Amino acid sequence: MSTSWEDLVSTALVGADRRSASPGEVLEQAAVEVVRARAGRRTHTSRPPAPAMEETRPLASRAAGDRLARMLGGEQARLLPEWLEAAAAVGVRVPAQLIPGLLDLGARDRSIRSHLGALSGARGRWLAELNSSWQYLLAEAAGVPSGDVWEFGTSGDRRAYLTASRAADPGQARELLEQGWDKETPEDRAAFVLVLSDGLGMDDEPFLEAALDDRRREVRQAAADLLTRLPESRLARRMTERSARLLVVDGGGLRAEPPKACDSTMERDGVRPRPPAGTAQRGWWLQQVIARTPLAFWTVHLGRSPEDVVRSKIGDWAREVAMGWTRAAILQHDPRWARALFEVEPLTDLLAVLPPEEQSARAAELVARHPVDGQMIMMLGGVARPWGPRLAKAVLKKIVEMSGTQPWNAGELIRLAGERLDPAMHGHVQEIPELAATLRFRHDMSKELS
Amino acid sequence: MDLSAGVASVRRVIERWSRDQVLSLAPDAASQKAAAGVSAPGKWSGSGALPDVVWGECKGSGATPYRACVDLSEPAYKCSCPSRKFPCKHALGLLLLWASDGVPDGGEPAGWVAEWLEQRRSRAEKQEKRDRQEPSERAKAARSSGGSAQRETRVTAGLSELERWLTDQIAQGIAGARQTGLADWDELGRRLVDAQAPGVAGSVSRLSRVLREEDWPGLLLGEYALIHLLAVAHRRTAELPAGLAETVRSRVGFPITREDVLATPWVRDEWDVIGGRDEEQDRLVARRIWLQGRATGRVALVLSFAPIGQALDASLVTGTAVDASLAYYPGASPLRAVVAERHGPAASGRPAGTELSQVPGRIAGVLTGDPWADSWPVVLEGVIPATGSLADEEGNGLPLHPEGGVPWRLLAVSGGRPVTVAAEWTPRGSRPLTVWDEEGQVVRL
Repeated sequence: MSTSWEDLVSTALVGADRRSASPGEVLEQAAVEVVRARAGRRTHTSRPPAPAMEETRPLASRAAGDRLARMLGGEQARLLPEWLEAAAAVGVRVPAQLIPGLLDLGARDRSIRSHLGALSGARGRWLAELNSSWQYLLAEAAGVPSGDVWEFGTSGDRRAYLTASRAADPGQARELLEQGWDKETPEDRAAFVLVLSDGLGMDDEPFLEAALDDRRREVRQAAADLLTRLPESRLARRMTERSARLLVVDGGGLRAEPPKACDSTMERDGVRPRPPAGTAQRGWWLQQVIARTPLAFWTVHLGRSPEDVVRSKIGDWAREVAMGWTRAAILQHDPRWARALFEVEPLTDLLAVLPPEEQSARAAELVARHPVDGQMIMMLGGVARPWGPRLAKAVLKKIVEMSGTQPWNAGELIRLAGERLDPAMHGHVQEIPELAATLRFRHDMSKELS
Repeated sequence: MDLSAGVASVRRVIERWSRDQVLSLAPDAASQKAAAGVSAPGKWSGSGALPDVVWGECKGSGATPYRACVDLSEPAYKCSCPSRKFPCKHALGLLLLWASDGVPDGGEPAGWVAEWLEQRRSRAEKQEKRDRQEPSERAKAARSSGGSAQRETRVTAGLSELERWLTDQIAQGIAGARQTGLADWDELGRRLVDAQAPGVAGSVSRLSRVLREEDWPGLLLGEYALIHLLAVAHRRTAELPAGLAETVRSRVGFPITREDVLATPWVRDEWDVIGGRDEEQDRLVARRIWLQGRATGRVALVLSFAPIGQALDASLVTGTAVDASLAYYPGASPLRAVVAERHGPAASGRPAGTELSQVPGRIAGVLTGDPWADSWPVVLEGVIPATGSLADEEGNGLPLHPEGGVPWRLLAVSGGRPVTVAAEWTPRGSRPLTVWDEEGQVVRL
């Protein structure tokens, strides 16, 4: 007697008694069928994926690859961005088996994506085609030189191409951008406008003024930010007119009079009408108008130097005015104003406007003069690596002083110093073993990637 | 002391291991991390390496440094630290340093290194003598020892109760298994443990897995049928050929002593270590290491157990090869084996693979001997991994185990080109273990 597998299963489900079958026989036949099916299973038809393209970059050394594997496994994971940056700079690619781990990280952390395109090579792009959570890689620059990049490249490749073209001939790069502007995606338009920041001049003004009418807010904001840096631009003149009424000399000090409304022309110039929660509406408008006004205007309008302006007494709205100037100094890359403002309030973002050595020197002064707290650690987080010798010395002194009294802040400072000090110092910080280990790790890492 | 005896009897240069291979020896993840912490060159002094031994002194918290030494041919580990983990972080850290080229070659081994190697050598000689001593007689003695007759009775009673329970289930219908199965199987498993049939108890405890599947009625009937078949086979052992009878006894869960295993004919070959996997079960870690012989083409499984966080057998490193004699557990499709004697390391390299289209035939052969077989290692060459299967250039495919997910690392290494892959076949699909890339580099999956 022969019974099909489906019959056996249905008999077993309802019970052999109801089908007047012998349960022992059902089990015996099922055993035969199971083993027969397992032993008789053939291969199925499978279409393997098409092969990945050949790699164009050399593989990272075995030591460098091993170190990356350790970092992906959690060891010194905070240094991963530095590894990626250094590896991208020397033009290598990562071992294939580490690509999935890196792409998973990139899916969660946008900040590391820009290097992944080149580092994961052809294999990375091949994998990204197979896994939807890695699709972002296809938009990153892959560092593949090609004649048709502007027409057919990934977003990242086209951005890189435009950047290079802008460096060679700013006018030609802008014209290239203008030709196909209407067909670009909103994301690309926003990214491409930012490329114009390099070599910015009044020749770009008509294009940027037109971009203030773009459908996408990011594009409008980026265009407005750039126009702020051109004191002759129409936007700068409109802002100057507004500002002239908003802040005036009043005896020895200054008096602020925030806008009463945010009209459509202000909105077009990038002033956002709705304040973030907890901010007064008029103060929010005041701050934004000041942020987009050329800083040179104030010294003329108020008749005093930037250092005197920022120290002037302002009654109401003093906070909003100071925040507007701070934002302006950052947007307009104005080191003199940044220095003056930093003296009054040491904000991290202002440091970025200053040359690296000066960042380090100013931070060193602050560290030496003030106790370390969360705010100072945040400020130090804005000082680019490598920290100069003075800052290094000041920070090391603080760490030793604090380790007994404030272990939490000391620990945070040790971690930060480990990322920012010159790794060549690893031999000179033996009294702080955790720091020495991190610096040693970075030292070996950069040797492997040089 | 005679240094040349311990150290200079070098057989072959051991190829430097990769970081991955070293870390696979660690008993747990915490050990891997700790080992990385002591693998910095600054921690070590007096380190050196000869072709098959690495040693060094690691600065710890105390005044005297810890002395660590690894005999690479086994490998075997020695460290003066008090850690209960094995290998300890110092031995692993030393190997990591060696793997990253951080241990200088050559150098005169310190006295303590030579001493330890000498001790090991003499111990090995004694063990070898013991193993060669009339193994079959010791085996007979072990089998007839007291208690075994009682065990036979208990097992027979337990399995006939199981047979009745299974036929009752089928007689009444298994439609309610989703509601009552878990409690029933728990109770049944406990009774089988009491009946000293731990192998069957294990099969019963794994039944709950099928309830997660959509086609659970068919899968459950299949599992019931195979357990029933085992119970019947045990009842009728006398009618079975010798090999199959041994298979039935071991699947039921009769223990077999190391002496009995060593009493079987040994198979000497150069064995490629083709893959391994650790699994936690009941507060134990089971380490499975699969081997494939170069001359015989035979495959083997070396199984070891340890409480979580403690010494596991770390002597077989994936991607390396060893010249050894194996003793197989008796059975109709023998797979599990012990390393009876090591003759030395062998040059490592990509293992020989079969074509993917040969796999169904090979598995059919395995099941002909042992119908209960549910795991078998295969080395495949010319395989192009896809997201749900292993394929070859002719378009033949072997499905992957659905619970393993997409093997992204394997895909990354292959990049759509043929590679050599070691995989574990199971009835539900294959699990990739190891891949050799175009340069012959080993990547554990």
